Amino acid sequence: MARRHIVATVIGSALVLGALVAAPSQAAPKVTLQVWGFGNVFEPNIVMKYGMIKGNKSWETLQQSLIKKKKLKVLNPNVTLVISGGGSQPDAAYFKLSAALPGNAAPDVAAVEMAYMGQTRVKSTANQFIDLNTYGANKIKGEYLPFRYEQGLSANGKQIGIPTDVGGLAVAYRTDLFKKAGLPTARASVAKLWPTWEKFIATGKKFQAKSSAAFIDSSGNMFQAILNQGTSKYSNPKTKKYDYVRAGSGFKSFAISNPAVKRAFKLTADAGCTSRKNGKCSGSIGTKIPQYNTGWGAAIEKNAFATVLAPAWALDYITQFAPKSRGKWDVAAAPGVGGNLGGSMLTIPKKADNIDAAWKFIKWYLAPTQQLDTFKQYKLFPTTYKLYKQPAIKNYKDRFFNNAPLGVIYANSAIKLKPILAGPLDRAIDNQYGAALSRVSFGNQTKVERGCKAKAQTTEAAWCQAVSDIGRLGLSGK
Amino acid sequence: MGRTKQVSAIARQDRIGLLYVAPFFVHFLLFGAIPIVFTTFLAFFNADMDLYYEFMDTFDPGVLGNAFIGFDNFRELGSDPYFWLALKNTFSIWAISTIPQLIVAFGIASLLANPNLRASVFWRTLLMVPNITSVLAVAIVFQQIFDRDFGMVNTLLYYVGRGPVEWTNETLPSHFAIAMMIDWRWLGYNSLIFLAAILAIPRELYESASLDGASRWQVTRFVTIPQLRNTITFMVVIGTIGGLGLFVEPLIYGGSYDGGANNQFLTMTLYLYKNAFLNMRLGYGAAIGVGITIVVIVVSIVNFLITRRIASEDSK
Repeated sequence: MARRHIVATVIGSALVLGALVAAPSQAAPKVTLQVWGFGNVFEPNIVMKYGMIKGNKSWETLQQSLIKKKKLKVLNPNVTLVISGGGSQPDAAYFKLSAALPGNAAPDVAAVEMAYMGQTRVKSTANQFIDLNTYGANKIKGEYLPFRYEQGLSANGKQIGIPTDVGGLAVAYRTDLFKKAGLPTARASVAKLWPTWEKFIATGKKFQAKSSAAFIDSSGNMFQAILNQGTSKYSNPKTKKYDYVRAGSGFKSFAISNPAVKRAFKLTADAGCTSRKNGKCSGSIGTKIPQYNTGWGAAIEKNAFATVLAPAWALDYITQFAPKSRGKWDVAAAPGVGGNLGGSMLTIPKKADNIDAAWKFIKWYLAPTQQLDTFKQYKLFPTTYKLYKQPAIKNYKDRFFNNAPLGVIYANSAIKLKPILAGPLDRAIDNQYGAALSRVSFGNQTKVERGCKAKAQTTEAAWCQAVSDIGRLGLSGK
Repeated sequence: MGRTKQVSAIARQDRIGLLYVAPFFVHFLLFGAIPIVFTTFLAFFNADMDLYYEFMDTFDPGVLGNAFIGFDNFRELGSDPYFWLALKNTFSIWAISTIPQLIVAFGIASLLANPNLRASVFWRTLLMVPNITSVLAVAIVFQQIFDRDFGMVNTLLYYVGRGPVEWTNETLPSHFAIAMMIDWRWLGYNSLIFLAAILAIPRELYESASLDGASRWQVTRFVTIPQLRNTITFMVVIGTIGGLGLFVEPLIYGGSYDGGANNQFLTMTLYLYKNAFLNMRLGYGAAIGVGITIVVIVVSIVNFLITRRIASEDSK
């Protein structure tokens, strides 16, 4: 009896307490947004202007101290942002999201990397996301680069994503190392060294003949860069079909028959293997150092390579990981026309708890003002392309990169790009081609597929294996 | 009357006992049995995430019916060279890591068993430190130690006048590097298990051995090692189970789901993960899972046979 009484009292007081806590929230509805990102999609100094940061100690403390010093006024103190996944790999982030989508654990805002948009566009997957047109995405459509905005369109005509930054493409090069090797150092004349990718590779060989440094950090990057300059990748833009047929039933796919793919493969292999010893690759214009980490930064400071094929976001990694290389860099236009690497989309899962608040946050975060701010602080280049004509971008120069006019350079590369039809297996196919290209330059293409008329270690043998491996991905034609 | 009371008391005790063990069975059902059944079921479908979503939205059995492909996934698995390569790699890394590890762990345990050792608690605690370090951190550090261009190992080799070893791009060196990672994490743990077993050996055996004039080596060979048979079996079994599930180390070490560009350190679980998630073939990934289960069952039978033999030798 007495026990029951106690229980009743506890429950009763809990109810009262709950009512007390809930009371003020009626005045200003409190919202907690679960925001899932990866890499540097969400930048701390920008997001902390919007709402109260939670779940990330260092960002939280930074925000609190800025508020105390009156350097920051949070726009929506009633919105709590729980941002997770910062610094993680886009692959892992997508796997996590794809498992969470149909359940109650789905986030309110999720970033999806470009390589996975092809999968996200497919019908039933696209149905797991909110059609942002029903929330008025149409009204902001005109702000964004058409090719980037179109990437957020699903196969059944829904707008499931709004583009974050655009990578663009340029070549960051070391003026000191170029000078030592007898190459020009002025931006305009450096760009004239490589109007085409063939000339870029030739310049690399010429540079390495006179220098102990490698020409480029990773030649493997070229594959994507070259492909992204074209109009098609693994899916046929004419038939709009992904035409994946299972291996064994006479494997045919645009992913292997597209001449643009073969050309990019061959060029990248030529860069990855410039000389051979007993048939095995012994020289390359690139290093084998993995990109964008502290080891990569250390290699820059030790003058291990002279150029980086740099989308705008990669410049931030250079300043972060190799601060001592300040002033030794300059940035010139990339070979070919235009260029892009990376980029992502912000989406709202259908099962999100706070769709309205999520949409407000996305609209704010990707609006021109915030994108400009993000570019100035973190060098993520805006997709809101009307900014490109404004002095803030036009006259933007960066001291770290020898006052290179980054705004003009990246605007020029981003504006020239055309949309490429994405397919559901883009990331998996990228992975197979990437591995094949590594095998050529690492000299471990030991396997020769049956029916392949090529010797081990050659580009052709690597191509044969890539084709066979891609055939294994088999997905019935969707 | 008194008897029925006793029986019901026992029955009640049993019921309470069941309550105590229930958490394990609930946990096993949710995270063990159901996933195993579901995985086996999934292995008969040409399923990707999109199909899964379609089914979750409609609950239409026709969606599943269209994707049913019978034993196709298993047929493909049987002739998939990458699965067999992954199996070979997994066993190779397991052998390179487990055998030297057991020998060194035994050595360390023998040193720690010395009653004259000072600060023995400190040494024992120290041995456990690698085991509680995050695998992720370990893998990243080892990646740097075995880095081709700026790594510590290659730098030391350079001073001895040996050329750079391709610690990631070649098969055996990469297996060795990953085995080192596993050893570093599990050496201390295994040493402590050995130590506990050594300390449990009756002192009389040593006393009678020394009365018989046995040398130190003879004591180890004829007293300690035979007494440790069950411990060794236990450690081989645990090591095998861990080895067959090897995943995080090769993933972080290679930085991709391929286990190196030439799949030189592709393990079975890595191959499962790559197929199910990166290549988006959930059905085939599930078939690989069933394949791994079969491998584990075969290995367990072999382990069982060995254990039985050892046990019967003990009773001789």
